[in-house]
Amino acid sequence: MAAINGKDIHKLIVACDAGMGSSVMLAAQLRKELKKFPVEVSHTPVASIPADADIVVTHSELATRARQAAPGIPVVPFEVFIGDPAVKRLVTIIKEGGDLDV
Amino acid sequence: MATTYTPQPTGSGLKANVQRVGAHLAGMVMPNIGAFIAWGLITALFIDTGWLPNKELAELVDPMVKVLLPVLIGYTGGRMVHDQRGAVVGAVATMGVVVGSEVPMFLGAMIIGPLAAYLMKLFDDLIQDRVRPGFEMLVDNFSAGILGMLMAVAGMKAIGPVVRTFTDAAGNGVDWLIEHDIMPLASVLIEPAKVLFLNNAINHGVLSPLGVQQAAEAGKSIMFMLETNPGPGLGVLLAYLFFGPRRLRATAPAAIIIQFFGGIHEIYFPYILMKPRMILAAIAGGATGVAIFLATDAGLVAPPAPGSIFAYVAQTPKDGWFGVYAGVLASAAVSFAVGSALLGFGKLAEERTGGETDGDGAEAASDKTADDDRAARTG
Repeated sequence: MAAINGKDIHKLIVACDAGMGSSVMLAAQLRKELKKFPVEVSHTPVASIPADADIVVTHSELATRARQAAPGIPVVPFEVFIGDPAVKRLVTIIKEGGDLDV
Repeated sequence: MATTYTPQPTGSGLKANVQRVGAHLAGMVMPNIGAFIAWGLITALFIDTGWLPNKELAELVDPMVKVLLPVLIGYTGGRMVHDQRGAVVGAVATMGVVVGSEVPMFLGAMIIGPLAAYLMKLFDDLIQDRVRPGFEMLVDNFSAGILGMLMAVAGMKAIGPVVRTFTDAAGNGVDWLIEHDIMPLASVLIEPAKVLFLNNAINHGVLSPLGVQQAAEAGKSIMFMLETNPGPGLGVLLAYLFFGPRRLRATAPAAIIIQFFGGIHEIYFPYILMKPRMILAAIAGGATGVAIFLATDAGLVAPPAPGSIFAYVAQTPKDGWFGVYAGVLASAAVSFAVGSALLGFGKLAEERTGGETDGDGAEAASDKTADDDRAARTG
């Protein structure tokens, strides 16, 4: 269990199977929420997460693949696409600082 | 707050591997969906039975489905293995299986494109550091050219005929399922696989290629509708809207819009994963849809992607409206009815039963606050 501080997150990747559908939707939502913060939000297929990502957000069904594709990069798995507590907490620590166990 | 986090997934190595293989297949098709849609629109508009029959423009149909689409798949498959050089030899090699084939060679393209690119990669790795300075470009261009030529010949003489046998067998298998009226059982496999995020793998990796083959002959195919039917997901979400756990009800309307109109089916998978018995609702709805599609001889002209009702409208043949929409609506109605019953019409919604997934989902759900509801509405 490592912890990451919200202030250290500058590149956030939302990953889904194809990188074309649900990840685009969630990335757009997060981008809007984090507009005022120095965080770049992008979406990719779970198989091609860029190595310089600070944190990866993906559905828990895809988390195994995300961890294999991007070893060493913290993964935040979530359950529901709208208003998931894990995603909400991530947004909070980015906005207000604080640590997140990943 | 650690409890709000989902646990590390365990024991899902097999699932991850299946997902990964499927993602490779789907990954060759999905970036090219725009071309499939262009072909579908041209077909729906300009063929004899289309909206604006036009002999001259209809000549686009055949070369696009038999050459352009397979070559794009071979190109993309090659690129996945070995970037631009892989893409080029993949495209050239695909021409080998395309030329002289009577049916669209999607399976062939999915095999030979990445294979040619892989051989290119092996060669490039082998000669790396061994080329004299100044000869790199000469070696690069001619190695790709010669390998492309060889693979095109191999595709035409060896791989093409073998793949054609497989493709024919797959097509015959599908015909057999249709003739014996057991096609609706496909939903028993498709719906659970779908919510485990194998949706793209199944649809774009398997069903779309089979469907394009059928559509090239018959003008439409039911294969496009097996996975993409937005009805079952709509029914499940409606059941949650009326009878789901109270805290989840607020998120259902936004999810319905994203799923049914936006075509992003992933949005409803969590609603099933958190109460796995709800899969029965999706299966019942899916099977109902397929049965009606079969009974009314319904089909779409091209893959509806994403699986939005708008994509359905765009790809429905002129004479096929009744079957397609009867099937979609009936599947939504059936999965809503079954889903509502499984939620005990509200009485069973809050209870925590079943496996780990069930508990986690309920827990995550009960952590929601008014903020989430606001997020749901703005999202």
